[in-house]
Amino acid sequence: MARQQGWFALILALAIAAGALLASFPLQLGLDLRGGSQLTLQVLPSGRVKTVEKEQLDAVKDVLERRINGLGVAESTLQTVGSDQLVLQLPGEQDPSRAAKVLGTTALLEFRVQKAGTEAEMQGLLKLKRQVDAVLGLRKAKVAAAAPTDKPVEPKPSLSAEDLAKALTSLGLTVPPGASETDQLELLQKEVNRRIVALFDPSSLTGKDLVSAGRQQDQSGNGWDVTLAFNREGGEKFASLTQSIAGTGRLLGIVLDGRSISEASVGPEFKAAGIAGGSASISGRFTADEARDLEVQLRGGSLPLPVKVIEVRSIGPSLGAENVRTSLVAALSGLALVAVFMVVVYRLPGVVSVLALALYSLFNLGIYSLIPVTLSLPGIAGFILSIGMAVDANVLIFERIKEELRAGNSLIRSIDTGFSLALSSILDGHVTGLISCIALFSLGTGLVKGFAVTLAIGLLLSLFTALTCTRALLRLLMSYPSLRRSSYFLPLAQLPPAST
Amino acid sequence: MTVTESPTPRFRISRHKRLAWWVSGLACLLSVVGLLVSWLSPGIGAPLKPGLDFTGGTQIQLERQCVLSDCGSITVDQLQAGLAALTLPAKAKEQAPSLASAKVQLLDGGQTLLLRLPVLEADQSQAVIVGIDRLAGPLKTTGTSVNTIGPTLGSQLLQGSLVSLLVSFAAIALYITFRYDRVFAFLAIVALAHDVIITCGLFAWLGIFFGIEVDSLFAVSLITVAGYSVTDTVVVFDRIREQKKALAQLPLIEQVDVAVDATLTRSLYTSLTTLLPLLGLIFFGGSSLFWFSVALAVGIAVGSWSSIGVAPTLLPVLSRR
Repeated sequence: MARQQGWFALILALAIAAGALLASFPLQLGLDLRGGSQLTLQVLPSGRVKTVEKEQLDAVKDVLERRINGLGVAESTLQTVGSDQLVLQLPGEQDPSRAAKVLGTTALLEFRVQKAGTEAEMQGLLKLKRQVDAVLGLRKAKVAAAAPTDKPVEPKPSLSAEDLAKALTSLGLTVPPGASETDQLELLQKEVNRRIVALFDPSSLTGKDLVSAGRQQDQSGNGWDVTLAFNREGGEKFASLTQSIAGTGRLLGIVLDGRSISEASVGPEFKAAGIAGGSASISGRFTADEARDLEVQLRGGSLPLPVKVIEVRSIGPSLGAENVRTSLVAALSGLALVAVFMVVVYRLPGVVSVLALALYSLFNLGIYSLIPVTLSLPGIAGFILSIGMAVDANVLIFERIKEELRAGNSLIRSIDTGFSLALSSILDGHVTGLISCIALFSLGTGLVKGFAVTLAIGLLLSLFTALTCTRALLRLLMSYPSLRRSSYFLPLAQLPPAST
Repeated sequence: MTVTESPTPRFRISRHKRLAWWVSGLACLLSVVGLLVSWLSPGIGAPLKPGLDFTGGTQIQLERQCVLSDCGSITVDQLQAGLAALTLPAKAKEQAPSLASAKVQLLDGGQTLLLRLPVLEADQSQAVIVGIDRLAGPLKTTGTSVNTIGPTLGSQLLQGSLVSLLVSFAAIALYITFRYDRVFAFLAIVALAHDVIITCGLFAWLGIFFGIEVDSLFAVSLITVAGYSVTDTVVVFDRIREQKKALAQLPLIEQVDVAVDATLTRSLYTSLTTLLPLLGLIFFGGSSLFWFSVALAVGIAVGSWSSIGVAPTLLPVLSRR
């Protein structure tokens, strides 16, 4: 008797602990239940790196983490998956396109000096670039504003069809048939940018020597500049670079991921010592968002290896909420039916098993918040299925008890025998279930893993509750003589006449 | 320890074994035919119609802000033409994918749109949403879901699911060999294969006639069915082993009959109690879990059948040799 009470005290303590856990650490809902975006990134080997090592994956993760923090999405998480993948979760974020863009770029910043003797060519290209950028910018603005305004657009940059064709042929470009004027302009823009970059020498000053990046409005007030601060070594390199071209008319190119974003001249006054002080600014007429994204990328440093976004999942919060509600209602109504079934078929032990199963659910949720397990739709499915297995354990035990009673055994003896005889089949069933869970968890992907975790927790707990909770509760009730009646276990008609 | 003393069971499975074998054989045959027909049909080309998770691509679900009565004003053709006319932003040197092959489905009387597209970058999907908003808008921003699965991820998923299924088969067979013997393990795997094949067969036919696709959740349900099927079979086997000791003087056929009879109530009750929450999910659950629950429910019902009618009745046949 004392032993039963010991078990009972333990169960009560566990129930209180599970309740306290749930109250202090609320359950974490997966993105499919509360809305948000999930991006899977593949880290690609490049150059000398043939396979992605763990340190490189971690290095990529560090850089991406800094960039994500710069984006300012609350509660974002970044995890490594397998040997070369990263999964980023952005709760509440509906439009992952900006995150995808910021994450996907390498952000290799270089400061390059123009090759000697290319001044004339550079002048021509820069002029063409300004023209093309202006015309394209105007076209994009027109497309963006759906309703045409009556106000005349004042200085109207334009490039006649003839000039465009001339510029294209002078750069050796052939226009694909059927290309619109915008397509031709974009083609021209790309080629001009490529040629400008080719006119610069590679240099040793890169984003590695940056200590911080910021942004400020430019002098005209129309756009944003990105400001840079170098470390001591970078400051010295920057000074000597600028000194080498000061007053020569050669330009300093700021190249990001192989794309020239700004070209600056260095005045003759810096001939003596170069631009010292270790700071610089990039003016490229950025919008506020562009400046912020560039700042985030630069501050985060450049990615050691390129990454590619291979999976994007996003789900709206109302879809998520609907999923939670309907799945919960469905699961609860199913469980209510199970409870009714158990009480009708098994009578007193049925009531006990409903209590034990309620405890079982509480323990499950407590463990979810302890580990913590992020609940997703497959996770809920795993939970519901594990309840099925837990009920099975009870059914096995009670059927055995009934058999023993029908065979004419006493009530207490039947209960004990029922538990011990059911044990081996319960054990085998749960172990085979756990074997599947292990296979699923170690070989499956994200969704499958979530299912395997909740099912495994459910199976382990079900072994515990069926063999201790149900038993302890049943034994406790049996200590009351008024409840010790075989008719509370099965219809009297099924009892052998000999038993009393 | 007392054991049931009545060696005369109310229900003798051995009397119905031919019927059970016929039913199971026919169901397996139909399933295999379904898988083959699906494989040979030009529209599918695989034993089961693979969904987005396995083929790769982008799926966009959008909810429109419209009153039900005038949601029907838009047609699939209009939307498809609108999509084909969209120009998507593309990275330098890359061609934006063509949307001419896009598939559009109208759900809930035109209130919900489901778009099947080739793999799109995040900003390209955004451009599609903006384009649809112009055609069929205004859209509810909170009801949007976008899924993009790269082609490499799809094959990884398929491979991972198949490997985990086979590994769990092998591990379970080992465990039963260790706990019982080889014949039991073989029959447990036969029953398990029976359940998995019939569940797959049903979905092959569903794919052929109704275009139902299988996703990674279907793979999860198959593995669960496998685990459940073994649990079910093991409980019956456990009883047979017990009867072998208790009724050693009787032939194996008798022992099996007694064991099946004794576990019959349990098998039915357990299947019923597991089916109840699943039926709840089927009838009241969200659409995202519907086919998952159907696969599980079918698998569990079939698993219950095979643990009563197939595995035990084959045991005397195989043990004689």
